[in-house]
Amino acid sequence: MSHAKSLNRRRFLKTTAMGIAAGSGLLATPALAKARSVKIGSYGGFFEDSFKASIFPEFEAAAGIKVQSVTQPDSSGWLLTMHQAIQAGSIPTDLSLHVPMSVIKGDRMGTVFENLDPQKIPNLGNVYSGFIQETDEGLKGAGAFSYYSSLVINTDEVDAPQSWAELWNVDLFEASLGFPSELASPLLDITAVVFFEGPEILKTREGIQTVVDKIGEMNPNIALWYSSTSQMEQSLKNNDVIGGMLYHDVAGLLAADGLPLASIFPKEGNPVDFNSWTLSRGSENVDEAHEFISFCCQSEVQALLSRSIGVAPVVDVASTDLTEDEISAVAGTPSFPMSYDILLSEETFIDEAFKRMRANI
Amino acid sequence: MGRAEPAAFVTRLGRSAFVAVILILCVTPFLLVFAISFGEKIEGAAWAWGFEFTNYKRFFVGADYPNTTSLLYLKFLWFSLYYAMFASILAVATSFPFVWLMTRQSRRAQTCWLVFFLASLTLSEVFVVMGWDILLSNRSGLPALFKEIGITTWLKESGWLDVLRTWGIASPRNVRFKPTEFATILTMSYLVWPYAVILLYPPLSKINNELIEAARTMGAGPVTVVRTIVLPMVRKPLVGTTLLLFVFLLGTYVTIAVFAAPDKSTLSISVYEAVRGATLNAPFGSAQAIILLITAAIILVLGRIAFLPDEGRR
Repeated sequence: MSHAKSLNRRRFLKTTAMGIAAGSGLLATPALAKARSVKIGSYGGFFEDSFKASIFPEFEAAAGIKVQSVTQPDSSGWLLTMHQAIQAGSIPTDLSLHVPMSVIKGDRMGTVFENLDPQKIPNLGNVYSGFIQETDEGLKGAGAFSYYSSLVINTDEVDAPQSWAELWNVDLFEASLGFPSELASPLLDITAVVFFEGPEILKTREGIQTVVDKIGEMNPNIALWYSSTSQMEQSLKNNDVIGGMLYHDVAGLLAADGLPLASIFPKEGNPVDFNSWTLSRGSENVDEAHEFISFCCQSEVQALLSRSIGVAPVVDVASTDLTEDEISAVAGTPSFPMSYDILLSEETFIDEAFKRMRANI
Repeated sequence: MGRAEPAAFVTRLGRSAFVAVILILCVTPFLLVFAISFGEKIEGAAWAWGFEFTNYKRFFVGADYPNTTSLLYLKFLWFSLYYAMFASILAVATSFPFVWLMTRQSRRAQTCWLVFFLASLTLSEVFVVMGWDILLSNRSGLPALFKEIGITTWLKESGWLDVLRTWGIASPRNVRFKPTEFATILTMSYLVWPYAVILLYPPLSKINNELIEAARTMGAGPVTVVRTIVLPMVRKPLVGTTLLLFVFLLGTYVTIAVFAAPDKSTLSISVYEAVRGATLNAPFGSAQAIILLITAAIILVLGRIAFLPDEGRR
């Protein structure tokens, strides 16, 4: 899913970064016994670099807590790694970034996460409720940042569509589009919104199959089902695809690089997704972890994240000092949220229905 | 005699320790995968240990059976075999004449070629794929060249582009090689070409020039010599190399991910998606891996029986 994918985003140098992270983790341990510290995971590459360059130093200065940066390759794979590490008695990070789907899964697995304590996150009130993951048992994830996936199109090749529905035109787009490949691809949500009046239809197997069949009508147009954003970027640059779906901010960066790429918010809207901070089970730096989350929930830090990483705030945009240009670079309207709970209850069925559609069988 | 016993005991101990290490290192991971393949997927979470055949059943009929029956994973398996088979045969077929001519050259030239091929093995699959990706991409590769020199316009005007579209190697705007079977098989066979050369070199270099000369003096042309003398002498290495490369290619990942069309994907992609993808369904991934392994074993045995009957009997 785009979620899992979001983890993948910009993970150039993943392996190297991981090696360095592992090495620096070892080197950093012998500090003063009483020094307060916290291990924080983020997606390797540009993402983690930005955290290390702008967010962590600010936090260290403000809170007097040393941050050890840990490289996560993605969310779903990292969930598995965390599970295995924690079973084996080691805590890979205190805080990790996870897509909503992974937060729910990790919670159900019962071995990976610890509940967060809202009392210890005074700034949590700034965050939109849609970006807070809570169950009856407590707070599982606190929104870290949000991001938009938009309809992108190479305007040198075709005119910019005003509706997602136009991508179903085989005469215009045969073997020309790229979409994310994983299970809860926003494509399910988009198709439900565009053709079936919303995600309600995804609540039954018949409904899911109907939506997947509808996506299947567009399948001849899809030349690339990408598993990492860099694949899509490369294909757009190579002209192997001329459009499809991509992160809004990444599309903006490509356009700034000279690619004739438009990031469009069609009349039906674009899906908005987010990542949460989660607390690892067995973490020994619980207070420090909460302090970091609270730090990140401030409008100034959210603005800093937008400027350095290109993500959208999880707090009221008006409360930040982002300019209009800065806001339109990371967000847009109209938009609609994704329906994770629906997608999770029929995971295997959706996975296979989706793959069958892709494989034409 | 009595004095020799401790030494024999030490030797035996050493040998058992060696066997134990091999067993632990090689067999344990395999047994783990085998054990996990019977595990149970928990919807909306990860998986748990268990003993059920759901994952194997899903492989053959799909998850929604008996409501619907899906041959999806058999299709993946078929494409795994299909790509590997064509790519290995292509690699052996094209490297054979090359190696044959190479072994007829001077010692020094042969060494140079061999060093070159050994060195090229250091190129990882990622690099090879990147290279071909550039060569076949629309903007930087052949399609761009076609466009530049006017072939594309000619194809459009003459209607050939529509023919190419039905063959799957053109979009409405230009020819395209990604994603196609053509690009996939080409890259895969390129990937194993150095192995083919290195595996075919020893048997071919052993063929004595006097045999060839004798045949030539009796009036056989070069092609006849290769057909009636060389090929029969290296039949076993040819079959062996093809089978080895075939098995090697069954697990190809990067090439498939980049060049294969989504509807012609393979089992290795599906295994990875199951294990590390969003569903975290390691049991199903393991079951697919086990089935791929068994299929490879069956094909190796069949290959030996079919092409090397004398070997098969022994």
